[in-house]
Amino acid sequence: MPESIPASLIIDTLKDTFREARAARTAEGWGRPATDHLGWILSVPDTHQKSVLAALDKEEAIRVLTCATEDEAATIAAGLYTGGEPVVLMIQHAGLYASVNTLRGVSMDGKVPVFYMIGLLSREKDKDLKDSRHSMVRFAEPLLDTFGVPHARLEGPDDVHLIPEYYRLSRQRRGPAAVLVGLETI
Amino acid sequence: MAMKPAEVLKVIAAARGNAICVPTMTTSPAWRELAPDDLSVGCVGFMGGASSLGLGLALSRPERRVVVFDGDGSLLMQLGSLATIAGARPRNLVHLLFKNGVYHTSGSQEIPGGLTVDFVTMARGAGYRTALSIGELDEFKRRFPQMLKEEGPIFAELHTTLADQTPMTARGGVAFPDQIDRLRKKLLTSAA
Repeated sequence: MPESIPASLIIDTLKDTFREARAARTAEGWGRPATDHLGWILSVPDTHQKSVLAALDKEEAIRVLTCATEDEAATIAAGLYTGGEPVVLMIQHAGLYASVNTLRGVSMDGKVPVFYMIGLLSREKDKDLKDSRHSMVRFAEPLLDTFGVPHARLEGPDDVHLIPEYYRLSRQRRGPAAVLVGLETI
Repeated sequence: MAMKPAEVLKVIAAARGNAICVPTMTTSPAWRELAPDDLSVGCVGFMGGASSLGLGLALSRPERRVVVFDGDGSLLMQLGSLATIAGARPRNLVHLLFKNGVYHTSGSQEIPGGLTVDFVTMARGAGYRTALSIGELDEFKRRFPQMLKEEGPIFAELHTTLADQTPMTARGGVAFPDQIDRLRKKLLTSAA
């Protein structure tokens, strides 16, 4: 059975992910960062990950920028990447559906690494995604498969290692990669 | 009065210094001739994204100016970016809007509201530090160097004629992924 993941665990994992990204940036030849935080979260607020977003409000090491749309978030991510900044998108499955052309144009055809954390609002604890009563839940993985976006499920605290793995994967393949947050974070 | 886009771009090219430039749609063909190998990246393949691409660049490189050459039809596709930009408060972002009232590239269909849409009021209402309208080239020549020094975000609605070329009549240029690579390497080298 899936379990909810504590916000503190996700934030610690994001910090580690950003630290690793900063080290890779230094190895690539970038000088001292132009900014004084570890990395950026671009968010279009997601009910499913609201405990993480609330906790991030108190975090000085991670800068959060709330965007009006997911199209903006993915495109701002391209600008941050080009300028050498580590960035993670936190959105909801409905936002993924709303921003498919930007996913294609910026990250796939544009070959910009974009790592998504996608909340599966309304996902039932006792059902597999494909058996959900909610189309928003059922279509997330098939959509990502259709576009060839590698993805994994965060089904509990033991899965947070997938965050840095899929972040790294987005950089290695120069394209999108995603983790799906199975249950509402706590 | 309305300005010729190519004349506006010449003014920008002469004054921009080491600013990163983000052209989109009908400013792209003329800009790549004026500035073929420099700190620019065109918004190609995701119409409406120029302002957001510029915001990301501005936040990542606060020591540089970033100048976005947006279009009115393009901005309408991501109009919420005005609020996102204002909320992020990038001091180094100059957002220029080439306003011609039509979707020139796709056949000059009128944009919703045509030329009556008041983007200056929208930008000001969203929270840009400065928002103004310019219809004369001499005024733009006078104001643009100041925009490169003043605290942003700055929005300028430029009343322009249609461009001589569009991305459909003048295809080509460097592919977007290669533009990203090229700009990233230049920023890396300058930041090292």
